Amino acid sequence: MKLRTFPQGVFLSPAKELTAHRSIVEIGSPPKVVLPLWQHTGAPLEPLVKRGDVVKKGQKVADVEAFIAAPLHASISGKVTAIEEWWHPSMGKFRAIVIENDGQEEVERREPLPKDIENLDSLFLRKWIREGGMVGLGGAAFPTHVKVSPPAGKIIDTVILNGAECEPYLTCDHRVMVERPDTVLLGLRILVRACGAKRAYIGIEENKEECLTLFAKLVKYMSIPTEVVPLATKYPQGSEKQIILAILGREVPPGGLPLDVGVVVNNVQTASAIGRMAEEGMPLVERVITVSGECIQTPGNLEVPLGTVLEGIVAFCGGFVKTPQKIIMGGPMTGIAQSSLQVPVIKGTSGFLFFSRPYEKKEYPCIRCGRCVDGCPMFLLPYHLARLAEFQAFLEAEEHRVLDCMECGVCSYVCPAGIPLTQFIKLAKAEIIRRKKGGVTR
Amino acid sequence: MSVEFKTVLTPPPHVKSALDVPQVMTHVFLALLPATFWGMAFFGYRLTLGPIVLSLLSCLGFEALDCFLFRKPLSLGDRSALVTGLLLGLSFPPGVPFWLPIVGGGTAIILGKQMFGGLGQNIFNPALVGRAVLFLSWPGLMSTYVVRNVWTLSKSGEVVSSLWEVVTTATPLGISKMQGYQALAHLEPRILWRLFWGTVPGCIGEISAFLLLCGFAYLLWRKIVRWDIPVFYFLGIALVAVLARQNPLYHLLAGSAILGGCFMATDYTTSPMTPKGRMIFGFFAGMITGMIRWLGGYQEGVTFGILIMNAVVPFLDRLLPRRFGVKKI
Ligand code: SF4
Ligand code: SF4
Repeated sequence: MKLRTFPQGVFLSPAKELTAHRSIVEIGSPPKVVLPLWQHTGAPLEPLVKRGDVVKKGQKVADVEAFIAAPLHASISGKVTAIEEWWHPSMGKFRAIVIENDGQEEVERREPLPKDIENLDSLFLRKWIREGGMVGLGGAAFPTHVKVSPPAGKIIDTVILNGAECEPYLTCDHRVMVERPDTVLLGLRILVRACGAKRAYIGIEENKEECLTLFAKLVKYMSIPTEVVPLATKYPQGSEKQIILAILGREVPPGGLPLDVGVVVNNVQTASAIGRMAEEGMPLVERVITVSGECIQTPGNLEVPLGTVLEGIVAFCGGFVKTPQKIIMGGPMTGIAQSSLQVPVIKGTSGFLFFSRPYEKKEYPCIRCGRCVDGCPMFLLPYHLARLAEFQAFLEAEEHRVLDCMECGVCSYVCPAGIPLTQFIKLAKAEIIRRKKGGVTR
Repeated sequence: MSVEFKTVLTPPPHVKSALDVPQVMTHVFLALLPATFWGMAFFGYRLTLGPIVLSLLSCLGFEALDCFLFRKPLSLGDRSALVTGLLLGLSFPPGVPFWLPIVGGGTAIILGKQMFGGLGQNIFNPALVGRAVLFLSWPGLMSTYVVRNVWTLSKSGEVVSSLWEVVTTATPLGISKMQGYQALAHLEPRILWRLFWGTVPGCIGEISAFLLLCGFAYLLWRKIVRWDIPVFYFLGIALVAVLARQNPLYHLLAGSAILGGCFMATDYTTSPMTPKGRMIFGFFAGMITGMIRWLGGYQEGVTFGILIMNAVVPFLDRLLPRRFGVKKI
C-alpha cells in the first residue's frame, strides 16, 4: 500500500487505543442545553426566540443575515429560560440561549431529501445545507455552504473527504466512518452535487485500517469517480492544505482557500451529518465527540446534543478516577484548555480530554537545533518568527510570512528547549491582523 | 458535581516531545566516549586523562564563575559545557602541560560562549575558539605530538621519557605536508588502514575514524544530528584533494576531519537552520579545510575551515525556504 503524505510535519504517538474500539453511545437528552450564539467561523448570530418561548427539537433558534454564518437549532424540546452570558469553550464567556428540557420530546423535522441527488439543483442544495446549520465538524467550524459556493469564475473539480483524524486521542471520526459509512457517502454525494465537482477522494490515515478496507469496498457503488487514499500517519495530515497537497499535489497559495485550487475539503463527520439530515430531516443538533484521557472513568465516543454541558458528560462517563490538572476541548495539539465544567458542547467540539499532568517542559534558550524549521508544514522559520514576535518586530514578521502559519503546534511540540513558539507566533498574527483592521501603520 | 479542582490553563499544544536540551547534550557526550577511551588507551592514560578531565572541569568551572559574577542563574544544567569541555579535551595532543587545558576551557567558555550571551547566542563554536586561541598562542605546545615508540611513523623520534616509552613524532598530515603523500605512503604502506582504526599519532580524540563514525552513527540513529553537514563537508575536502592531485580518502581520514565534520561543524548553534544553508556551510567549510592543508602554512585546516564558515552562518540564515503555495519559477 503506497501512502501519500505532505513534506515535513511530525510523527506523534496516536494514543487512540483508549477509545478506538468503543462504539458510539447516545447520551440522550440532557435536562438543559446551552447554545452559544457564536460557534462557527464568521458573524455571530441573533436569537430568533425570547425568554419563555417553547421550542421543539430541530427548530431554528438563531440566525443572521450574513453569508458567512450558520443558523442554530434547538437540540432538545423545552422552554427558553434565559439568553445570557455563559462559559464558552474558546471565548471565555459569550451570549447563549439556555433551554430547559420539558420532557415532551417534540420534534420539528424537514422534508427528507429526494433520493435522486444527482438531479437536484446545486443552488437549492447550498441553501438546504445552510438551513441545516452545517459547519465543519473537524474543529474549525467553517460554514459548509460557504465552502461549496465557489465565487464567480472559480470552478471546483474535486471534493476531498477528510478522515485523517491526525490529532492524538480523538477517535470520533474513526467511529463515524466505521458505524455510519452509508450516511457519510450520502453526505459526500450531496456535497459533490452542491459544488459541482467531478470527482471525490476520501483520505484516511493508514492507522485506521478497518475504515480503509470498508470504504474501498463501498466507493465502488458511488455514481461519481471516488478514490480512497491511504495517508501516512503524520501530524498535521488532517489540515486542509496538507491533505490537498498529499492527495492532489496542489498547494493552496498564501492567504488563499482550497477553492483557489479547485478543491473543497470536508470532514467525514460533516458529511455524515449532512447525510443524516437528508434521510431524517433533522438539522445539525447533535454530534459525536471523544471523551478520553487518564482521569475519566469510562472513556468513549458519545453522541451528544449540542449545548450539553461538560458536567453532564463527565457524570455520564462515570466521573473522574483522578483529579484532572488539565481539561482540553479538542485534540492535544490544537485544543483549548478549559477552566470550568460548565462549558457546553459546540459544533466544533471534537472531544474533551482529561489529563492528570499538565505536560509542561522546562524552558531553555533556543539552541538553534532547527527542529522547528524541519517540522513546520508551512515551510516557515518558527524560531525566527517567535523572536521577531518577542521583540514586537511585526512588520518584519509579516515579511517573513508569519501570516502563513496555521497554528498547528508542530514547532512548539518538537522544540527541545520547550519554547512556546506557536504561542508567540499567534500573538504576532493577532497583532498584525488587528493593526490591519484598525488601519494603524507605523 | 461539586468536586473542586483547579486546572492548568496553558496554550496549545498540550503535549510536547520528550527530548530536551540536557538530553541532546548527553547524547553528543556519549557519542564521543568511544573515541575518547580509545585515545586514552592508545596514548596511555598518564598523558591523556589530565588534559581531558582538566578541560572538562575548566569549562564547567568557568561557566559557573561567569554565572556567579554576572548574577545569572546557574546554567550548568543544560550540560552544554560538558560537550564543549570534552570536544576541547579531545583536540589536545597527548601530554600537554596541565595549565593549557585550563586556559583553553576558560577561553572557550568565556570568549567563545558567555560573551555572546550564553547558550544558543554564540557565533563561533566554543571548543574551536579555545583550540584556535591556544594554537595561535602556544603553537609549539599545541603541535608537539608524542606516541609510544612502536607506533611512530618517522624514524627520528626523540625519547621523551624512557619510563613511558613515548617519543615525539610527526603526524601523518605533518609528513605529507613536508614530504608529500608519496613519502608517507612509502614510510607506511598501510597508512589508510591505520588512520581508519586509529593507530597513528595525533590529537587525543581525532585518531580513530572508525570509532568517531560509530559515535556519529549513534547520533544519526537517535536523530540528534542530520547527515547533511558532514557529507557536504567531506565532499568539500575531497574536491580540493582531487584538485591538488592527492588521495581524497586520505584527507578524509587524516587529522581532525571526521571529528570536526561530524561533531564540530554539526554544532546546532553555529550551523545554519535551513537545508540549503547547511549544504553551503558544510561544503565551503570542507573546501577551506582542504585549501589550508594544501596551500596554507598549517598542516591542519579543520579549526579555521569551520570557524570561518561559522562567521557566515547569520548570512546563510537569511536564505528563506520556498514559500508554501508558491512554486519555484
Ligand atoms: S504553528 Fe505555525 S510556525 Fe509552527 S509549525 Fe505550525 S505552521 Fe509552522
Ligand atoms: S526547535 Fe526550539 S531550540 Fe530548536 S531551533 Fe527551533 S526554537 Fe530553537
